[in-house]
Formats: sequence, C-alpha cells, structure tokens
Amino acid sequence: MLEVKCVSKFYGEGTTRVVALDDVSLRVDDGDFIAVMGPSGSGKSTLLNIIGGLDQPSRGEVILDGRRIDDLDENALVDIRRGDIAYVFQQYHLLPSLTAIENVLLPLLFRGGDTRPKKAMDMLRRVGLEKRADHKPGQLSGGEQQRVAIARALVGDPSLILADEPTGNMDQKTGTEILELFTRLNRDGHSIIMVTHNPEIAGQAGQTIVLKDGRVESTS
Amino acid sequence: MRLHQMVAKDIVRRKKRVLYAMLGVVVGTMTVISILTVSLAGEAKIYAQLEEYGANLVVLPAISQFDLELGGLELGAVTVGENYIPEYKVSEVRQITDDMVNHALGIQDERNRYAAPVAPRLYASATVKGASVQVVGIDAVEERKIKTWWRVHEGKYIDESDEALAGAWVAELLGLSSGEVLDLNGVGITVVGILKETGSDDDYRMFVPLGTAQEAFGKEGMVSSVDVRALCTACPVEDIADEVNMMVSGVRAVAVKQIAMTEMTMMERVNRFMLALAGITLAVGLFGVVNTMMTSVHERIRDIGIMRAVGASRNQIVKAFIYEAIVVGVVGGILGYVVGTLLAFVIGPVIFEGISVTYVPQYLALSLVLAIVVAVVATLYPAFRATRVRVADSFRSL
Repeated sequence: MLEVKCVSKFYGEGTTRVVALDDVSLRVDDGDFIAVMGPSGSGKSTLLNIIGGLDQPSRGEVILDGRRIDDLDENALVDIRRGDIAYVFQQYHLLPSLTAIENVLLPLLFRGGDTRPKKAMDMLRRVGLEKRADHKPGQLSGGEQQRVAIARALVGDPSLILADEPTGNMDQKTGTEILELFTRLNRDGHSIIMVTHNPEIAGQAGQTIVLKDGRVESTS
Repeated sequence: MRLHQMVAKDIVRRKKRVLYAMLGVVVGTMTVISILTVSLAGEAKIYAQLEEYGANLVVLPAISQFDLELGGLELGAVTVGENYIPEYKVSEVRQITDDMVNHALGIQDERNRYAAPVAPRLYASATVKGASVQVVGIDAVEERKIKTWWRVHEGKYIDESDEALAGAWVAELLGLSSGEVLDLNGVGITVVGILKETGSDDDYRMFVPLGTAQEAFGKEGMVSSVDVRALCTACPVEDIADEVNMMVSGVRAVAVKQIAMTEMTMMERVNRFMLALAGITLAVGLFGVVNTMMTSVHERIRDIGIMRAVGASRNQIVKAFIYEAIVVGVVGGILGYVVGTLLAFVIGPVIFEGISVTYVPQYLALSLVLAIVVAVVATLYPAFRATRVRVADSFRSL
C-alpha cells in the first residue's frame, strides 16, 4: 500500500548542509506493523513526517496506493491527512482547550461531516477511556492523553497509523499498555509504522528497520 | 462541535491574551467615537448659536432709503418708503434659494429637499390706542422659523387672520393684554399673544398676518422686505444674493455677513483635525493588534500544527483566526463605543465651553464596523503566514 523509494532529506545548504535521510527505501503492505529504530538524530521522525506528508523529501518518491504523495500540494495533502493516514505523536499533541472527546472529534470537524459525539465516544471506548471523555488534557495522565490521541487517530478510520515514539514519555507499565493497544489495532487491520527506541517494543512488530545517520542499517 | 465552538473554547482558555488584543481595538475605536461625539455636540452648539442670528439674506425693494440690519428704528417712526416688492417675487426668491441650497448640499431627491425659511414682511405705521405703532405683516409660519428665539410670554402665537402679536414694550406702553380687541385702520384684530422681551426692535412692534396688514393698509400683493435664512456651512449666501439680484428685477438682495459662518468654518477645521487624530490613533491601534495577533499566532504554532495534522485545511485555520478576530472586534467595538462616549462626556466641555454632550446610538454601529475591520485586517496576515509553516516544522519549533 505504501512505498518509499530512495528518499533523501537535507536541511540547510552548502557547508552547513545536514543529511537527515540518505537514500531510504521501504515498503509497507496492508496489515504490516513496522518498527523504526535507531539512535537520536538518525532520521526516524523525519522519515515518518515524510511518509505522512507533514514534510517533503529533498529527493525520492513516496507512493501511497499507487499515487505519488511526496510532491502533492497542500490541499491534496489535506485530503490524505483526512483519510488514509493518521498520526500519534510522542508529545500527544492534544489541544489543551478541548476535552478528550472534543479532541477526538476534531478530525471529523475538519472533515466537515457528522460531528455528533457518538463516533468519538466509540473510539474512546475502544481505547478504554470513555469515563474520561469530559476531562481536559491537563487533567489526564500521560498514558491517558496518549489513548485520547490514539482515539483521535482512529476516528477517521485510517488504513495507516504513523506513531512517533508513542511510549517515549511513559513508564514501563503504561508503555506496555499502549503497545498492547497498538498490537490490537494492528490485528483489527490497521497498518502501523512506529518509531521507537525500545527493542522490546520492536520485538512485537512484524518488521524492524534500523536507521543510522539517515541510512537503513538493517531490516529484519 | 463546530469550528466556531472550538474557537470559543480556545478564547475562554486564553482570556488574557484575547483581552490584550482587544485593548488595541478599544483604544482605536474609543478615540474615534469620542472625537465624533464631541464634535457632533460642538456642531449642535454652533447650530444653536446660528439660530440666534436670524436671517442671513435680506431682500429689499431696489430703491429704499433705510438699512434694516442696522435697525435704529424709533418707536412710531415710519421707516418704509413707498417702494414695495410685489408678493409674487417672494416665490421667485424662494425658488432660487432652495435650488442653490439644495445644490450646495448635494440633495437631489425631491422628497428630501431642504426648504430654507423665506419670510416676507410688510411694514406700516398705525395709530393704536392713540399712539403711533409700527405694525408688521408677517407670514406667521415662516417668520417663526427665522425668529427661533421668540417666546410668547402671554397667550399664544398667531395663526388666524384677525389675530395680533404684540412686542413686549408695545404691550407695556399701551397697556395691552391678550384678548384685547383693537382697531387697525378699520380692521378689527384681537391681541392673542405678547412676546417676551427680545432686546431687538421687535419689542416695539406689533405683528399681524401679512394678508391682514395688506388689507388694513391698502397694500394688497405688496411686501416691504423678505428675510431668508440659508444657514449651512456650504450655503453660498453671497451667490444666492447675486443670483437673486440678477434674476429678480426690482429687488436688492443683501447677504448678511456673519460671525457664525466664520465659527462654522472654524468648527469644520477643528473637526477635520480631530478626525485626522482619530485616524492616526486607529492606525496605531491596528498596529498594536497586528502585533498581539502575531504573538498570539506564534504561540499557537504548535496548535495550528496539530489541527493541520488531523486534517484542517489552510482555509479552516484562517477561518478560525477570523472568528476569533470577529469576537475581538465585536467586544472591542462595544467597549470602544462605551468608553469613547464616556470620554466624550469628560473632554467635550473642555474643548467647547458649555456644550451638552449626548451619546449617539448610531455610533455603536460605526464602532462595531471599525473594530471588526481593524481586528480582521490585523489577523489576516499573521494567520495567513501561520498556514505557510510546514506541519513538521511547527512541532520542531518547540
């Protein structure tokens, strides 16, 4: 469903040029769970951002369901964010002024369709947080906030979920719970690409890609 | 939940920021509103003063020996010669005046035409109760429009043909009281009212309807003079006089030079100066709002990134900011109006002595429009810029 072909990403110019990604290629099929590992600064997040259309590659192609998305304009990218691809961030990235359920509703609101709370409530139930629906992010723990973020990602029914170190800010136990949630979503048919530092988590994934200095060091 | 609800929740959370942005809008509109309110009150005062000046155009027979504006009329003195103006010429004078005044005011709609008071008079001398009195035949309605300072002290103003109005001193000297029946050259008239003292020649005169005077003195279809009040800054009194002199034969039109006009021009200047000042304040306010909006947008780069990551288009982001600007504009506009009006009450009397400032409800609409426009304009640029940031960068900036 998704193919990354020889993607490179540079920041800056001339002598100050930094290579974030260097000729990276990978392939994601329906139902895949791929872990992306590597030390800090190895280009993991950059890769995820480029796959999701949050950033553009300096070179190479990203093909989603047979269609190039790396050179799309902003309006076309909006369509992709509204449909096929959803994100889960390490920092949760919830809007602080909205309650949990309102945060989950947000993608539906921007899509302009049905914004009744029922679907959002279903998603919160799926992540086991229906009782916290009316709490604001500030009143929730890290794990709970991440569950809200996952519910928000699920509400648009995406085929691919991109997760950038979703357990990075959590203790072991919470991290394990979140990871279990992801494996369950994977079983439900969502493809997942997850950036992580944790080899145990990577062990749960079907495939692991290790990046180093912007290059693919190993694939397993 | 809809976009505007999301914006509302965000405003509630960021109260202080929003209030700060609002402050710029309030300062700008407040200044404009207070200046407009004060100058309106000042204008009203000058108009009120103008009323006291009476006519500013006098039409006399072409050959006449006396000068009306100088007055100096002795009680009982016959000051009118044998030259009169035929009454039909009054309507010619009225036509010319109206045309020129409406042209000067730019009024084209027939229904809104401004009608300048045109008051014909017939002067005559008569013996009443054994004393010689100057009797003036007047067009009661038009005369009243010019002599706005007339106050009926006793009884009522005249409207019937057999009624008479006596000046304060005439009434005093002849011992007249309202209800008294007099004989005017064989025509019976009833004194229905006595004027309050005016300090002018009117105190020594008796007023009867024009037709009655014409009948009593055998001057049917004749008038002695015509007073015209064409009072507005734009009114070309001298041009009207020239036009009357040129178009109407047998009359001499004189424009009365007035201090009031100078004052009016002065007022215009002061108004213009103050409006310029208000404009500058508004511009400064705009700058302040742009500044706070920039900061506000910058603070929310991350939130904007989040919204875009979950599917917000650039237009939706800009729209959200415009909603916020409208809230800032509406609240700022109302506050600006209220504070500006209060300010006018304070500074008004300092600028123009003795004016009475009143609040002007229409300025609320003006204030709202100004405030919303300022807030939206100030928001558009930073909001537009915010959507140009790449989503990935908006997270990285933290």
